[in-house]
Amino acid sequence: MTRAERRPRTRADWLLQSTAGAVLGFTLAIALSGLFAWLGPGGLAPLNKYQFTMWMVPPLWLGVLSAVFLFRSGAAAWVGLGAANLLAFGALLAVQRLGS
Amino acid sequence: MRADTLRTYKTVHTWTGIVAGLLLFIAFYAGALTMFKAPLARWAAAPVVPTSATYADADALMARTLAEWPQARADFTLQLGDGRHAPHRLRWQPRGAALASEAMLAPDGTLAVGTPRMADLADFIDEVHRTAGLPIGREAGTVVMGVVSALYFLALVSGVVLLWPTLVKDLFALRVGPNLKRMWLDAHNVIGLLSLPFHIVMALTAVVFGLHDVIYDAQKAVVYDGRFDRMWAASGPFAAARPDPAPAALLPLGSLVARVQAQAPGFAPHTLRIRDAGTAGAVAWITGDQPCCMQRSAQGSLLLVSAVDGALLHGEYAPGHRSGWMASVSTFFALHFGSYGGAPVRWGYFFLGLAGAFLFYSGNLLWIESRRKATRRGAAPVVQSRATAWMAAGTVGVCLGCVAGLSLAIVASKWLQGHVADLDAWHRGVYHAAFLASILWAFWRGGARASVTLLWCAAAAAWALPLTTLAGLLPVPVAAGWVPAATGTLGVDAVALCGGLGLALMARAAARRVRHGAADSVWRG
Repeated sequence: MTRAERRPRTRADWLLQSTAGAVLGFTLAIALSGLFAWLGPGGLAPLNKYQFTMWMVPPLWLGVLSAVFLFRSGAAAWVGLGAANLLAFGALLAVQRLGS
Repeated sequence: MRADTLRTYKTVHTWTGIVAGLLLFIAFYAGALTMFKAPLARWAAAPVVPTSATYADADALMARTLAEWPQARADFTLQLGDGRHAPHRLRWQPRGAALASEAMLAPDGTLAVGTPRMADLADFIDEVHRTAGLPIGREAGTVVMGVVSALYFLALVSGVVLLWPTLVKDLFALRVGPNLKRMWLDAHNVIGLLSLPFHIVMALTAVVFGLHDVIYDAQKAVVYDGRFDRMWAASGPFAAARPDPAPAALLPLGSLVARVQAQAPGFAPHTLRIRDAGTAGAVAWITGDQPCCMQRSAQGSLLLVSAVDGALLHGEYAPGHRSGWMASVSTFFALHFGSYGGAPVRWGYFFLGLAGAFLFYSGNLLWIESRRKATRRGAAPVVQSRATAWMAAGTVGVCLGCVAGLSLAIVASKWLQGHVADLDAWHRGVYHAAFLASILWAFWRGGARASVTLLWCAAAAAWALPLTTLAGLLPVPVAAGWVPAATGTLGVDAVALCGGLGLALMARAAARRVRHGAADSVWRG
């Protein structure tokens, strides 16, 4: 099947893609900000770095939410972002274990 | 770009615009006004007898109040007067009392203690900006607008994607002509694209302001491994204070300010929160304007100094002393508030805010025009769908209701000052009454005919500002003292006069369209 012939997006696709972007995009942004908190300059030590780390979340989250509609279907969006979440949270957990 | 990608983002743009557009119109119109909320509040404020407001006067106010009310020493706020409109005010929260107390020095030198006004006109305009006037309280309203701002960001991204394939061709094209939809689309595109950096900053910062608690809670739960509360407490400015109960006098304010300015050049303090006055550990958390720099709050930069010797204790909220982390974050605060560069930036933000309001208004118009059913030559007249008729009425009612309502609330604030117990309730009441009446009228009369009346009403409400100032010339008791106070705020009257003229021109154009517009337009009455 070529790209041009792909099936039209259904109502369920819209719902699944939007929720994947809103929910999994948010959790992914939290995990990535967490990696930055631990691995970014100075680690957890610098005063007020946590404020910067909070500010990172909306651009990451909304970037994912904006791009989620490029997935071919709602299911693909949940699988793709779910995998990205697993990777990011796995890395965060490893960093926390090694770091503390 | 593939055609189905474009179609997808068109749908995203349409839906986010429909859901968020009208609330964003209110936030942007009120936000444009917040750039000048201080002059607006001064315009509406009760005339005060000009008192001297030197640093020595403030020292006297502090000494007399703290001698008479020793419990205020633990924590009080001194708001410096400007010597023309506002006197020095000292505010504290008496133990067990529901309301704060406020002390001022009367012109004859006696101490006048009362209850401070809970909120003034500036706070009201700010609240409409933050909550889009939703009557659900400031906290909940800000959270809702955080979500709305996330949709706004989506609308921006999808709008740019839509424009991308024809970007160069369309950017500087404003095709004024018989194809009205083309003209509105060109105007919508050029304003959206040229002010895109402003809009991206506004969307991202508003998401942070609305949802920071949610984000912090999530990060606290999964990122910081139980260390968040300690990091949070350590970063608070008062964590840098070192309590010391040994008695010590406050440094006279003039010397304190001089020592602060030696450490923060150009810093002009206007509010000081002082803790533990009378002890060697006394500190002052000072807010002041520092127009050189990107300032953390809409009120300016903040720093914590010892109130006994002026030594800087915490400079994370002050340019030149803050860390790189706070410099980056504070820059985004400043970019939202326009708290940098002084008056030219405020005027720039005022017009960018109005242009943003136009962006959302024109977006709704385009939605209506895209769904317009055209009359075929020789065929029976078409009936436009109910959805477009409702959208037309809703857009006109909400937008013009907000514009007129804010003007009326400002005017009511001046007339009712001192004559009603709860002025803030009147601000809300007048605004919401005008807003709801406008929406009801729009749905009852239909968008087309209502737009003419409502535009004239909005123009009249704007003109009510300069007319109110002129009413100061009348020999009526309510207006006593208005004229001498008005000389400092004639700029407010001038802008309101121009705004009213603009609305009146729109009213005439709308009336022409109701009579002579195309028969298949929702704007033909």
